[in-house]
Amino acid sequence: MVYPVASLVILSFQEYSPLRSTVTSFAGLANYAWLVGSDLVHQSIWVTVVFTAVSVAIEMAVGLAIAVLLAKLVVELRSRPGRLLTRLLSGIFILPFATPAIAGAIAWKTLLNPQFGPVDAILHTDIAWFAQFPLASVIVADAWKMMPFVLFLMFAAILSIEPEQYEAARLDGANAWQEFRYLTFPLILPVVAVTAAFRAVDAFTKIFDTVFVTTGGGPATDTQVFPLLIWRTTFDYLNFGHASALAVVAIIVSALLGASLLAIRRASST
Amino acid sequence: MSVAISLPRPRGRAGWGRLIVVAVLIVAAAGTLGPFLWLVVSSLKSEADIFANPLALLKSPTLANYASLFKQFHFAVATLNSIAISLGVVAISVVLGGLAAYGFSRYPFAGSRLLLSGLLITRMVTPAALVVPLYLIMNALGLLNSLISIILGIAVLNLPFVIWVLRPFFDALPHEIEEAGLVDGLSPLGVFLRIALRLAAPGLVTVALLSFIAGWTDLLFPMSFTTTPDATPLTSGLLQMQTGYKIYWGSLMAGGVYLTLPTLILSFALQKYLIQGMRLGY
Repeated sequence: MVYPVASLVILSFQEYSPLRSTVTSFAGLANYAWLVGSDLVHQSIWVTVVFTAVSVAIEMAVGLAIAVLLAKLVVELRSRPGRLLTRLLSGIFILPFATPAIAGAIAWKTLLNPQFGPVDAILHTDIAWFAQFPLASVIVADAWKMMPFVLFLMFAAILSIEPEQYEAARLDGANAWQEFRYLTFPLILPVVAVTAAFRAVDAFTKIFDTVFVTTGGGPATDTQVFPLLIWRTTFDYLNFGHASALAVVAIIVSALLGASLLAIRRASST
Repeated sequence: MSVAISLPRPRGRAGWGRLIVVAVLIVAAAGTLGPFLWLVVSSLKSEADIFANPLALLKSPTLANYASLFKQFHFAVATLNSIAISLGVVAISVVLGGLAAYGFSRYPFAGSRLLLSGLLITRMVTPAALVVPLYLIMNALGLLNSLISIILGIAVLNLPFVIWVLRPFFDALPHEIEEAGLVDGLSPLGVFLRIALRLAAPGLVTVALLSFIAGWTDLLFPMSFTTTPDATPLTSGLLQMQTGYKIYWGSLMAGGVYLTLPTLILSFALQKYLIQGMRLGY
């Protein structure tokens, strides 16, 4: 782990484009100057930030809502068919998480296809979603896949709340919303914070497969998220110097995000 | 936990509330299941039927798309490659990750806490950033276009996660049992192999499962390190169905289902471990 990173840092100060010349030469800060000035890089960072914020917000909202309802059902339905229903539901909800990102991406690519996709057929439209609303479509595909992760962490947190507390709330005449607002939510807030932070870091750094398969970063570079930008700079433009500078920036950002995640964990566990 | 329902509750409103909860959950479940179900149904249609009417049900199911995977797209070799990669990643993850996690748990040294925090941070690094240096290293070692380069790449990125998940399992083991092992004449390695590993088995299952999935579903490393069909797994093999000229939709969908089935079966069979991995891995 140390050796690759070290060689990466060294390479980021060199010019190395095997397409033009196999010789590496010292380039000083040229790669970093390119990075600071490049519109491509600015756009990529912006797309990544928007993608992360929106998809994590959706995942948290939907995941939390389903977790609350599912937990309610688990506690209230204790009969055999009731238990069967909750088991079936949780089995279904875990499915997207168990689906490889590529397969999920293929499913969404075909669902949203203008020629034979059912979404357009139902809406009586012929919108090429991944071309006309590329970022929104990628976000939907990713939210579908990662929502279960949020759901099951929230679900476990809610079920670990003492039932006596709900009993007390009910004796005080709390309705379902008050129960959630003043009891459930404050109690699981630490888990919510850590989960959201973790998902944000993960979405920011790991989004690759879904984008690569659905839009390939396009149209043009509209959905070229940061990991994809690094990859394309490496293997499509074969500019290892530029790619290394991008990678070094990515690692520094990841380290900062990771460190703040650790801080949030520590703060929420005390 | 069952105390909550022992309360006497009025029928009427509560019954309606429950009905609404069930209805909302069923709609959400349908939305969750829908895309995958669509993929399965469409993969069983002929290419002509796929384009005919998107909302039509499956009238004449055919396995033609699945057959094309093996005839046209080298899926027999790709399947073997995927299995080899996944098992390779599992082996490295369990052996090295197990030893390292045990070391962190039982033999703390100056700075080991810091190193552990550092490990969590490396887990946050985008894999694409490490592809550049790893590519050059594999190139220098002459390992490009081999399964070994793919296995090593995935395993390197998977190890921090493995250590992070396994360490709490070793932390939870009582020291006394291991000390008894030492008294009985086992070496520290013997204690690890014969006692610690056996007691931490649930953790190992979780780690093996998630490592297998990591190897099975990885696209980045195969795509970066191989160009030869001999070392192409299912994931990057799937991409060859979308060329600049034509997308083989039927095969693509069948390939997506084919890729999913093993992880789906494993995940349902070992659902408990998967959820445990989710909770411990973050």
